[in-house]
Amino acid sequence: MAYRVLIVDDSPAMRSFVRRVMELSGFDLSVCFEAGDGGEALKVLRSEWVDAILTDINMPGMDGEELLRRLSADELLRAIPAIVISTDATTNRMDRLATLGARGYITKPFVPEDLRAVLERTLGDPNV
Amino acid sequence: MSETPFHRALRDSVQEVLEKMFFVEPVEEPPGEAGSPDGIMAVQLAFEGLPSGVLTLCVTSAAARQIAADFLGEDESGLSPAKVEEVVCELANMICGSVLSRVESSATFRLASPRILLAGERPIRREAAARRAVHAVAIGSGTLTASMETRDPVCPQAAESVS
Repeated sequence: MAYRVLIVDDSPAMRSFVRRVMELSGFDLSVCFEAGDGGEALKVLRSEWVDAILTDINMPGMDGEELLRRLSADELLRAIPAIVISTDATTNRMDRLATLGARGYITKPFVPEDLRAVLERTLGDPNV
Repeated sequence: MSETPFHRALRDSVQEVLEKMFFVEPVEEPPGEAGSPDGIMAVQLAFEGLPSGVLTLCVTSAAARQIAADFLGEDESGLSPAKVEEVVCELANMICGSVLSRVESSATFRLASPRILLAGERPIRREAAARRAVHAVAIGSGTLTASMETRDPVCPQAAESVS
């Protein structure tokens, strides 16, 4: 199965890197959407369905925590698994994001295999 | 002088971030003086939490271009200065977050946006810094120097003197 993924990060370089790493990892990516913050992500989600969202936390405009809140509050969008990609590996932060609805967490730095493993776990398909 | 936990966290973070995210194998070298003369790109990033402080990265132009090319999977010749700066800012962000996650694994911190220092602008140095660590590596034909200082002790184990 090929997956549709939305990458949310204010850095175009980081979005490009995440996309490349997904491809390098062997993850079956069919379509990749990009957004520069939570507000842009919600706009994309009004017109496109995705199988997973990969989001940064610290972003100008709507940050990742607010995006998670908005997703959890939406009857349709809450079904989309959101995975946080962040440099912050503190337990407080990870616990708070889990409470807000994050279904996975990837700490930078990571290797392609780490990203694929979290996507597999989160999407619930060992044959991704 | 023995290595402090703060130095170790900075060294390990620089190595791990460069290897995993930038596909670069850095070679440790003695740190030079941090600054932003011609041919050097300097980025500064403030952080708030326990501890608060500032990280400064000084990267030679050659190293910056190589890092950006490896990160983006593009040829160096096709990279604009803006793209190189963006990638170096992202590198600073990752190193800073990695160090803070190592020294304070349970406390939340907040990173400001990295800022490119203008030519001739000197990095902020806090004379009253509680802790200061510097780590330098050679990358291809260039070098990268990371220096980090905090206003507060970084963790109970890191109670050594400032170096």
